[in-house]
Amino acid sequence: MNDPTGTPHLTGHGPEWKDPKLTSIEARAATAWVEAKVDRATLTGKERVEDVRDLMWQLEKDGEIVVHRIRDEHEPVHTKTLYGWVKRIPTTQLWHHKSCGQCGNIPGYPTSLLWLMNQLGTAYLDETDQTSCTAWNYHGSGIGNLESLACVFLRNFHQAYVSAKAQGLPDGHYYPLVHCGTSFGNYKEVRAYLLRSPELREKVKKVLGKLGRLVDGKLLIPEEVVHYSEWLHVMAGRIRAIQTIDVSHLRTVIHPACHVYKMVPEDVIYDDKVLDGNRVAVSTGLMQVLGAQVIDYSTWYDCCGFGFRHIISEREFTRSFAIDRKVKVAAEEARADVMIGHDTGCITTLDKNQWIGKAAGKTAEMPIVADCQFAAIACGAHPYKIAQLHWHASPVEKLLTQMGIDWEKTKAEFEAYLEEVKAGRGEHLYDPRRAVTSGPGFRKPVTV
Amino acid sequence: MHAAGTRRQEHIGDPVSEGAPLSREKLQGIFNDIQADARYDHELNGCLNCGICTATCPAAHYYDFSPREIVQLLWTENLEGVYDAMQEKIWACAQCYTCAARCPFKNSPGSLIMIMREVAIKHGMQSAKDVLRPFSRVMLKLISTGNQLSPDMINADHFADWGPNISKIDAPLKLLRQAIPMPTLNTMQTAWEVNLKTSVELYTIWEMTGVLKQLETIDENLFDVISDIMDEKREDYEDWREAQEGEPA
Repeated sequence: MNDPTGTPHLTGHGPEWKDPKLTSIEARAATAWVEAKVDRATLTGKERVEDVRDLMWQLEKDGEIVVHRIRDEHEPVHTKTLYGWVKRIPTTQLWHHKSCGQCGNIPGYPTSLLWLMNQLGTAYLDETDQTSCTAWNYHGSGIGNLESLACVFLRNFHQAYVSAKAQGLPDGHYYPLVHCGTSFGNYKEVRAYLLRSPELREKVKKVLGKLGRLVDGKLLIPEEVVHYSEWLHVMAGRIRAIQTIDVSHLRTVIHPACHVYKMVPEDVIYDDKVLDGNRVAVSTGLMQVLGAQVIDYSTWYDCCGFGFRHIISEREFTRSFAIDRKVKVAAEEARADVMIGHDTGCITTLDKNQWIGKAAGKTAEMPIVADCQFAAIACGAHPYKIAQLHWHASPVEKLLTQMGIDWEKTKAEFEAYLEEVKAGRGEHLYDPRRAVTSGPGFRKPVTV
Repeated sequence: MHAAGTRRQEHIGDPVSEGAPLSREKLQGIFNDIQADARYDHELNGCLNCGICTATCPAAHYYDFSPREIVQLLWTENLEGVYDAMQEKIWACAQCYTCAARCPFKNSPGSLIMIMREVAIKHGMQSAKDVLRPFSRVMLKLISTGNQLSPDMINADHFADWGPNISKIDAPLKLLRQAIPMPTLNTMQTAWEVNLKTSVELYTIWEMTGVLKQLETIDENLFDVISDIMDEKREDYEDWREAQEGEPA
């Protein structure tokens, strides 16, 4: 468009923009280069990347915040992130920050993680005083805002900080371990804004003050936001030591979760020993340590199709994307035996939508499990009692057979176990009395 | 011609929608709300129209949607184009952040879209009301309990395309939930057992951060239902607290 002076000017995709009317083949050729090579340089070739932890330490020094530190007692292991920065991963005294999608849809995901921790002697707390991060709803609906997300984040993490009081232990004893990839990405994004913005800190402080969720009158900020897949990554060697099932013949593909490594990518663990450092190291590294084959595939970078809003109200997009861009490619191109994920929505989407795929004549099938479920089964966990595979719609039975497990027998064992549960003789991974740390239902301190 | 100190056009292009034209003040008010968000300047740093964001966008495969277009509309401060995109296009985004990870300018089209969605809600746009109607069940659950979804929400009535059986073992849902070896997960109406104190605390967050106001703008009936539920929960919690005060230490 020309302005009244007759001088043409750029308005981007404004009214003068013309559709180039490319054929689908031409459009494909025009964009294929983008997909041809995706490696670490794609993420690192940017300017203005800052390590927000520098701001965090300065704010603590200035007396404005308190940092929830990873202490020696948490037995941290050092890892390297995208730019080579050190990220310390605590390995014990962990506070499980659960995922609503995992717990509601695919509960074998967290139970497998806790089972592994029991086998490895990791101390932890799973309790009722926590909410969803609320970011699934936010990303889907737009209901919520930066302030509400920040308040939910710091409220949950404050609870992690004080939770050990119920056991007569000091503040900071437990360190939060985040189960959900969206919580992980969202919390990191929000933490960065909290550290950058005095206005946001002021608003959040007012809310948390009303809730009694400040420490010495200050906001409590975690030294690191840690995802469970990072714990698995640094524990891989110890998991390998208790492995009982050979998985070297299995072809695995990894679906890296968008909110785990595309949000705040500078905080994500990369390792030169894991696919030359060109993929996020978590899950892939674990599979390699367990001895499984990791097969690359062309759409590894794609999302699963979950879409946050789409999984609820535009499911045609979700199921089409999941089948056409992920499951089909993993089955036909990579000839994979299993697809491994590390996030809630991805596992649910890729798994549950396979049923409807058949109705549309899309016959590709692929067992879908989380990295911790695969690892737990490889270490001898019961596929149904612990890994809870009956909630999965994908053909997990095929995977169990390939792992040398008689799935019909183990399924029958679980069905028999249900009679025990009915009679009130169900088994738990920890003492249920520990789950309530305050408020209604809390009775008295329980010795660990 | 650009207004002094801004890239905003003095003259807006031809209307891109067939709806009744909006006053410039209204369009400007909407755009100003987007621009005023604390995240805006951090997530929009420039754009050379390279299109790498759109080339890797999952939503662009299926919808008339392009993150490049959204960024360009914002970058050029095309008020009418921004408003038009808020009618439908912004709701196509799958929020995967692939665009953000790959943008050479370190823009985050996905984050910018979240700001636009929030502003669409703030202004009570019909598009937002229509799009969010199917979300009411989820919002009721989340705002009143602290959990986004619960086991009893997952059934063939609501997820018919997941097949007739949510579990491959034919047993009542309650029993299957009791057979999960984490005590906090032996629940039906929430994904895990959420302490009453916790959901009351969350409700205070919703109140103080303007989320309930957003909800009221979009769905007044749902707002009323949630308010009633939470009033009861608060009373229950206060009753419990009073009972505690009466107990010996």
